[in-house]
Amino acid sequence: MVVACPDLHLSVGPDIQRARRHEQMIAVVTGFCPDVEVVEPGVCAFGARGPARYFGGETALAGRITAALADLGVDSRTGVADGLFAALLAARDGTTVPPGGTARFLAGQPVSVLADRDLSAQDLAALLKRLGLCTLGDFAALPVRDVASRFGDAGERAHRLARGLDFRPLVTLPPPADLSVVQEFDPREPRAEPVVFAAKALAMSLHDGLAARGLTCVRVQITVTWADGGESSRRWRHDGLLSEAAVADRVRWQLDGWHPAPGGQTAGDENTPGGIAALRLLPDQVVRAAGQQLALWGETLVSDRVARAAMRVQAMLGHEAVLRPVLGGGRNAGDQVTPIPFGEKTEPRLPADRPWPGRVRGTAPGLVFPAAREADVTDDAGRAVTVSGRCALSAAPARLAVHGEPSRRVTGWAGPWPLYERWWDPSAARRRARFQLATEDGRAWLAVVKDGGWLVEAGYW
Amino acid sequence: MLPVLPALRGLLPRGGLTRGSVVAVAEFGLLCLALAAAASADGAWCGITGIPEAGMLAAAALGLDAGRTLLVPDPGPSWPQVVASLLDGCELVLLRPPARTPAPVQVKRRLEASLRRGRGVLLVAGDWPGAQLRLRVVTQRWAGLGDGHGRLRACCAEVAADGRGEAAMTRTRWLWLPGEDGGVAVAGPRDLPFDIQDPPGTAPALRVVGG
Repeated sequence: MVVACPDLHLSVGPDIQRARRHEQMIAVVTGFCPDVEVVEPGVCAFGARGPARYFGGETALAGRITAALADLGVDSRTGVADGLFAALLAARDGTTVPPGGTARFLAGQPVSVLADRDLSAQDLAALLKRLGLCTLGDFAALPVRDVASRFGDAGERAHRLARGLDFRPLVTLPPPADLSVVQEFDPREPRAEPVVFAAKALAMSLHDGLAARGLTCVRVQITVTWADGGESSRRWRHDGLLSEAAVADRVRWQLDGWHPAPGGQTAGDENTPGGIAALRLLPDQVVRAAGQQLALWGETLVSDRVARAAMRVQAMLGHEAVLRPVLGGGRNAGDQVTPIPFGEKTEPRLPADRPWPGRVRGTAPGLVFPAAREADVTDDAGRAVTVSGRCALSAAPARLAVHGEPSRRVTGWAGPWPLYERWWDPSAARRRARFQLATEDGRAWLAVVKDGGWLVEAGYW
Repeated sequence: MLPVLPALRGLLPRGGLTRGSVVAVAEFGLLCLALAAAASADGAWCGITGIPEAGMLAAAALGLDAGRTLLVPDPGPSWPQVVASLLDGCELVLLRPPARTPAPVQVKRRLEASLRRGRGVLLVAGDWPGAQLRLRVVTQRWAGLGDGHGRLRACCAEVAADGRGEAAMTRTRWLWLPGEDGGVAVAGPRDLPFDIQDPPGTAPALRVVGG
């Protein structure tokens, strides 16, 4: 059974109040079934067979849970099906799929649901749609061997999901040795931020330990021990898909949501009574890993030293503050380099191996302004230079005045080079004419005429 | 010593960037990226902080390896700590300190001390009193643009270097920064822009060209 609370979805940035209510929601659901796992903030899942028998049926159980959460002021929906994937889909509508009817339920779902929790399946979903397979039923009808040979590992996993089988064959092995990792804090850490930073490194050692044995975990249990002996322990869905940053995020959500007394103290108190004594990550339900692990947090030829320095700056300024430039394709000065936060997969936004007609060729600019700067380009008589729809200039540019800087005399210019992108989409259409201007101080500029106004996008010096 | 591009070796007293030293360039531009290019191509990691407009495509054309570059576009008010952390991992850090809030002298001294310990190089795009080496572009002229035709092809620039100690004597070089292929090369005597397009009244004065 899956309980989904759309209000509590934490993907739109941290909010202490929302995190606290999430913890309350988990506490309520745990009252009905002790073995609850958190799939993502606002969504939790548990095996329904036992509790349903105890409470007199799945519908009765769902009704009780919804009522209890409504008392808390949280809007919730429940869904029941065989397997987590189908149950998550069922929770969206609040339906109960009868046992054995999961395959039929899934057959009617569109292919795009494959990409809901697993962003790497987006390409596969788009491909299936282009091939004419619009529903999961169409996809499930294909023979397994053909799917495996054409779409590879990712496709085979998606095929299992589409047929209503579980994500992995759940042959859980008893862990050979204690794979958990612990970080103790001495003296006790009163603030949450250093614990989250330590969680990142701890997650890395956990993943390394699992990868060294060729294993991956279905769930990860995060246990935070406080100085006064209290413990907060949550199981989070992992499936081998979480990166170190994602595990650290879950630690932060767990810390945000904790409040010390069950009576519920209001905001304003330190949510860390006495400080945090230890943080423990334990892999739950360990299974054999498939080869696709390498693509997720691999291909880093980054040495430890550099990674530690980058992660320290990320702990100071935030995850998006440290970036790695990835060169790709594109037509405009700003499109050709994609900055990716450190630790994420380095893929350019626009693919590099396409011809990209219409880009400005030749030397690349030394400075690319993040926001184009407004400018005035005037001719000899002081009138603004305009470009007609047919790329006819009103007069030769003579002076360039970038806002905030003195006016400069133009010693050489070339253009207009027109560019009309996405003309078929009125909301995304961009029509501009580009110029290169050289000024008397030896600098050169990439100027753009857009909607009658001049902008400077890049500088060459 | 970190290596530099062959064309720039004549400007530096020992033909390279001394580890643990601060090199100040008057303003951010292709010269800063060119100074970092050879070290990066040789395997060093490079951190660029406080410069959101750094043109990485031009940097790659000069020789910088984008796969070994870290960008921190906005270090905020705690930029000395950010630079110190970056110096732990990167051998070369290119920094533009915020003009509005200059750091006090003690902070700069602490940064220089950790620089000497870590044996990295700090390239500052701006003012840094006490820098061992100072470089600036004196004049530059782009070639390739006519009167409504052509495109930017190459820039001929005069670069001057001075500093303290060994670098006290000013040296200047004429360089293609960048040349037609995007890289840096020494400009031959026939490439210098002594052309008739100089506006009247500004005849170039005689200047010493280092040899």
